[in-house]
Amino acid sequence: MISLTEELVLLAIEDDGKIAYTAGSPGFAMALIGACLVELNILGRIDADLDAVNVLSTEPTGIETLDAILKQLGAGPKRPVRTWSRELQPICNELVKLSLRSLLQRGVLQQTEARFLWALRSRRYPMIDGKEQKEAKLRIISMLLSTELPTPHDTVLIGLAVAGGLLESFLTRAQIAQLADRIGVVGGLDLVVRGVEAAIRDDAELRARVMMMSVH
Amino acid sequence: MNTTIETLDSATIVKATGRLDFEASASFQKELEQAIANAAARKAAVAINCEGIEYVSSAGLRVFLVAARAAKSAAIGFGVCSLTAGVKEVFDISGFGRIIDVFPDQAAALAKFSTPA
Repeated sequence: MISLTEELVLLAIEDDGKIAYTAGSPGFAMALIGACLVELNILGRIDADLDAVNVLSTEPTGIETLDAILKQLGAGPKRPVRTWSRELQPICNELVKLSLRSLLQRGVLQQTEARFLWALRSRRYPMIDGKEQKEAKLRIISMLLSTELPTPHDTVLIGLAVAGGLLESFLTRAQIAQLADRIGVVGGLDLVVRGVEAAIRDDAELRARVMMMSVH
Repeated sequence: MNTTIETLDSATIVKATGRLDFEASASFQKELEQAIANAAARKAAVAINCEGIEYVSSAGLRVFLVAARAAKSAAIGFGVCSLTAGVKEVFDISGFGRIIDVFPDQAAALAKFSTPA
């Protein structure tokens, strides 16, 4: 199974194997943190509501990216997703490194100099647990063009891809505008995603304030 | 969390009471999936009466999406009614009102599901 975190990292890899410039943005960093929080929720280590991330168990999951986040959550005070998403941003580089390493080790990607290329030209993930899975970009496009309801995994993936500015790496601005209503309906039907979106807004507002203050 | 199921002509009403958090979500999901399968067999809709649900976490919210997908796949009506203030806030913020029918009360849900589409 390819994790949400790994799928977000895959979305940040362009068709020619280069890393999309949006991967350096605070929005992408916070989307990655959000992906980890959702995975920790699914694994029963945390639960989240509008007010706080509640740690249910600090028992390691055995997944390096998630355990790095869980350690911080377990050691810190109770805070909402909105606050944790910003606080944990510095871990983002490590999360990307660990995810890329895992994708290379599992044969999803191959590294050639500074590029990451798909191991399978069909853009499907290698067979895992006997099931073939369509790649994230293909799944997102197919969901946006359908009238289906997304799975819990895919609504989070779409919501975080939007929040992290990753749709721009494979859809044009005109396509995104055309699909805006559908994106609004199927993306981010999840409290963690909504917390990440709020954190990204807070961050942008803070940066704008700092910039305006620096004029004086 | 406690669940009771009432089978009416046009709809199955699932009444849930308590906290819908990670701990309660797996068993509630199973009960809902079973209720949806039974309702689908007699082509009836499913409405979740939420008047007794005092809290919904992110894990609990996911159960509504799984249930809505199951109902859509079975081609039967699906909705929620009688949301408490806290649950309504969670639905509003997460955008669930855009994918699931939300009714003010059980009578409104039954009125909708009694009407042929």
